[in-house]
Amino acid sequence: MNYLPTKNRDMEQRLRDEAKTLLEQGRVDYVIGFEPGSLKLTTTPLITNNKDDVNRLVINPFIVNNLSVYLTEVKGRVGIVAKGCDSRSIVSLIQDKQVAREDIIIIGIPCPGLIDLKKVERLLGKDRDELDDITRDGDRVVITVDGQRKEFPITEVLYDNCLGCEFPTPQEYDILLGESTPLVTDLAASRQKIEMLERMSRQQRWEFWEEEFSRCIRCYACRNVCPACFCERCFVEESEPQWVLPVPRWQDNLIFQVVRNVHVAGRCTDCGECERACPVNIPLRSLSKKTYDLVDELFHYTSGIDKNAPPLMTAYEYTDTQDFIR
Amino acid sequence: MLAKWGGKDTSFLDWYRNTITPAKANFFPPMEEMFSFRKDREGYRIELPPSDEGKQLIFGIRPCDARALAILDMTFKDAYEDPYYLSKRNNAVLIGLGCIKPYDSCFCTSLGISPAESTDVDLMLTDIGDQFLIEEITQKGKELIARASGVEDATEADEARAKEAKESSYNKVARKIETEDIKEKLLPNFDNQDYWERVAAKCLSCGICTFLCPTCFCFDISDELVKNQGERFRCWDSCAFPIYTKMPMENPRVEKWRRVRQRVYHKYQFYPMNFGVIACTGCGRCIRQCPVNWDITQALNSLPAKVKAEN
Repeated sequence: MNYLPTKNRDMEQRLRDEAKTLLEQGRVDYVIGFEPGSLKLTTTPLITNNKDDVNRLVINPFIVNNLSVYLTEVKGRVGIVAKGCDSRSIVSLIQDKQVAREDIIIIGIPCPGLIDLKKVERLLGKDRDELDDITRDGDRVVITVDGQRKEFPITEVLYDNCLGCEFPTPQEYDILLGESTPLVTDLAASRQKIEMLERMSRQQRWEFWEEEFSRCIRCYACRNVCPACFCERCFVEESEPQWVLPVPRWQDNLIFQVVRNVHVAGRCTDCGECERACPVNIPLRSLSKKTYDLVDELFHYTSGIDKNAPPLMTAYEYTDTQDFIR
Repeated sequence: MLAKWGGKDTSFLDWYRNTITPAKANFFPPMEEMFSFRKDREGYRIELPPSDEGKQLIFGIRPCDARALAILDMTFKDAYEDPYYLSKRNNAVLIGLGCIKPYDSCFCTSLGISPAESTDVDLMLTDIGDQFLIEEITQKGKELIARASGVEDATEADEARAKEAKESSYNKVARKIETEDIKEKLLPNFDNQDYWERVAAKCLSCGICTFLCPTCFCFDISDELVKNQGERFRCWDSCAFPIYTKMPMENPRVEKWRRVRQRVYHKYQFYPMNFGVIACTGCGRCIRQCPVNWDITQALNSLPAKVKAEN
């Protein structure tokens, strides 16, 4: 399968070379990147200390995972592949002293946005494994299905969070694989679901979330894919006191998610992993992006930009907004 | 997903792929009340929830998920009688529907299941174009058909079309595992920590694979107490969680590789030891829905050949 314009293939080769050198020279103990997944149009994280494995590393529009989630777990010095949002999550982890900057070599990828297969599926009325191929060509995407080529504007298939991405190219990196790519954005599309919720009455919103969270099965994938959720013990698992029951009632599910959002406020980089991981399709980014925007509006703070800044929720300024205290 | 049918809209008949949540959830729901309790002067009073008398007709259950219910029966019916599960199980009719297009994550044929054939249901349907060919599997199924209107006797041509559809579906399942080979390799690799650490590295310890697995049945029990009364619930639990079994004791599987290994061994080693069958039907949900594409077939297929015997 060919997902890539030539430029990406050059980038991929450079990534493999750099990763190999890092391991050979002993500058890192592990490399974390992406390799082809076992299903069509997927990639899967590759965590390896073996230099022969690096030839499996890939870069394509399906490198969805925010790999920084592994940093608190993988021992030793790590070379990690990072898109713009991922690199911000790494910075945020450094701010929170969960990882040390000197233990990480960031291999930055200027990210042109990732393809949301759910959008592709809706667009074509086909599941991902029924598609022959997807190729990105600048601001167009070519999807081959049943031998026929169909072309769409790339904005129709990029993830919502990619459409609103402010920092596609990592600002914090040790190696940058290529020039930053001009980003195709569509801010309106990126906030479409949130604006729909903002237009609702409180009652309507309440009913909306009741319906959504009634599906939640409390698998905690949203939490476990999230690099900002680095607590060793999550409040939902406390039994004395028991803040929420493990029982997946919609009210408990909602409280879990609301508290999680407050906990990751100022840490969330809008990588979109929570929503993508959800097996029952709850629009979780509508909560996390709203929180992200509130952090900007209330505190003029953007997460994961300055590794020397104190984490938002641990710092206090007299000029901080206080109008939430009523 | 499985949803309640309003009785009119038949567009779901065009939905030709399997559900995200297996029919397991209709018999062993993500949460259920076990009983309520109240404390008064004489002690605790316990009240059982209203028994689940509603009958369920599950339309379109796939052979993998129907077999999974038979596998769950071994735990919830044979090993001990679970009244919550059985009250629903005994009150249900299963109408199976053969897969036309298995997912690329499906591997049911490696587990002795044909994607369009099943005897674990009451009636089995095969899509033969603009009609379904119906096979009566149980007495319950026969009675249901006897009362139905619009059912005609199948012709030889219909049967031939059904046979063709079943074969075509079978051949579309591309993912394979070798269960005999795996059986030989599993036990010798149990202590192969290096292998399991490597395999487990990318797992994020969420509950998707176990919760959506049609044969996983672990549950956790918790009480909700307000003043003098409350309810006892049970809800799905997962051996992937670090805090699994932490409440009664410690989790013996603190390291992630032990938890990943547990899921594989429970399905492919321990269940066969206890019940004589592999507790996996190859539905592929754990591969398809995994946020990091952790793939059990890869873990099984790459088991090292017999670990060198130490002399």
